Amino acid sequence: MTHASTSVPITTDRAAVSPPRWAVLGVLFGVLSAAAIALYGPIGVSGTYPRFIGAILRRLTPDYAASNPYLVKMGSLITPETMLVVGLLIGGFLASRLGGMPYKAGAVEMVHAEETTNGKRYFNAFLGGLLIVFGARLAGGCTSGHIISGITQLSVSGLLFAAAVFGGGMLTARLIKPAVGGR
Amino acid sequence: MSLLYALLVGVVMGALLQRVGASSPRMILASLRLRNLAIIKFMATTIAVGSVLVYLMSLFMPMHFDIKPTYVLGVAIGGVIFGVGFAVAGYCPGPCVVGVGEGRRDALMTVVGGIAGALLFTLVYTLIEGSLIKPLNYGKITLADLLHVPAMAAAVGLAAVFLTGVTLMPTLRGKAPSAEP
Repeated sequence: MTHASTSVPITTDRAAVSPPRWAVLGVLFGVLSAAAIALYGPIGVSGTYPRFIGAILRRLTPDYAASNPYLVKMGSLITPETMLVVGLLIGGFLASRLGGMPYKAGAVEMVHAEETTNGKRYFNAFLGGLLIVFGARLAGGCTSGHIISGITQLSVSGLLFAAAVFGGGMLTARLIKPAVGGR
Repeated sequence: MSLLYALLVGVVMGALLQRVGASSPRMILASLRLRNLAIIKFMATTIAVGSVLVYLMSLFMPMHFDIKPTYVLGVAIGGVIFGVGFAVAGYCPGPCVVGVGEGRRDALMTVVGGIAGALLFTLVYTLIEGSLIKPLNYGKITLADLLHVPAMAAAVGLAAVFLTGVTLMPTLRGKAPSAEP
């Protein structure tokens, strides 16, 4: 009798304390982002895109590159941020190959109802890519620099950016019809 | 040395983003449609843990803080443009690079689009600098400055609000995609 009554709550407790995946990964990412600020500086990504443009234009048209104030401001491609982006490529490769997640290499996920062919999906991916980096450069950072690192450092700009991103993003997602079988 | 640290941080960050599903456009759209809040909860947890940690560590060692200026127009308009692109592509500037590492072909298209967006911004920068970036610039302000409290107190308060939110909110909401209007 006593055995039965004590064993049931124990099993329930075990199930309740097993933390969800997002919580474990979130704590790890929080420690990582703090470690980056301790070691060299806050994590960020989107500045790498114009630095890449700068590196190319400095070879093709050195005079224009030297006269463009934005390229001058962003500076050399040899920065910690560029190395972080190289790391993202390696981390994505390793995590997808070392098992755990159901993922087929080269797969394309359709997310909008109009994406009936790979070509239409590629067009949306390109257009969205153009908008996210243009918007991030106008705002001075992206999800990493403004939202993760920014709000971690309590910045008002990070909170304003996050509100604008989720406002614009949720409204757009609501206006576009989801793909069949999409979530 | 910073270059090596950043490379290692990038590898771990890429693996974490892949595992949480941040490089999956379906997961991103499910977040924006409020069907699956796992990624939003992941981000809130990251910020809560990171914020308390950095201000705690700053009491014992020098930290490389770098706060971005709050120029209201550029940050808000840039954020809305970013949000629209986020919903169209299902990728952010970092996770699309992670997706390329995984072998996702649409992620490569987002990276190419991102390079085009950076080129476009570089070309129009001088035209919009005066109207969107220079005005209404309040500088590198933080929540602690706004509330006139110590940074550690603001960090603990922010973490408490975020962690309460992620605990109370359900992760999965709704079911059939046909329920969408």
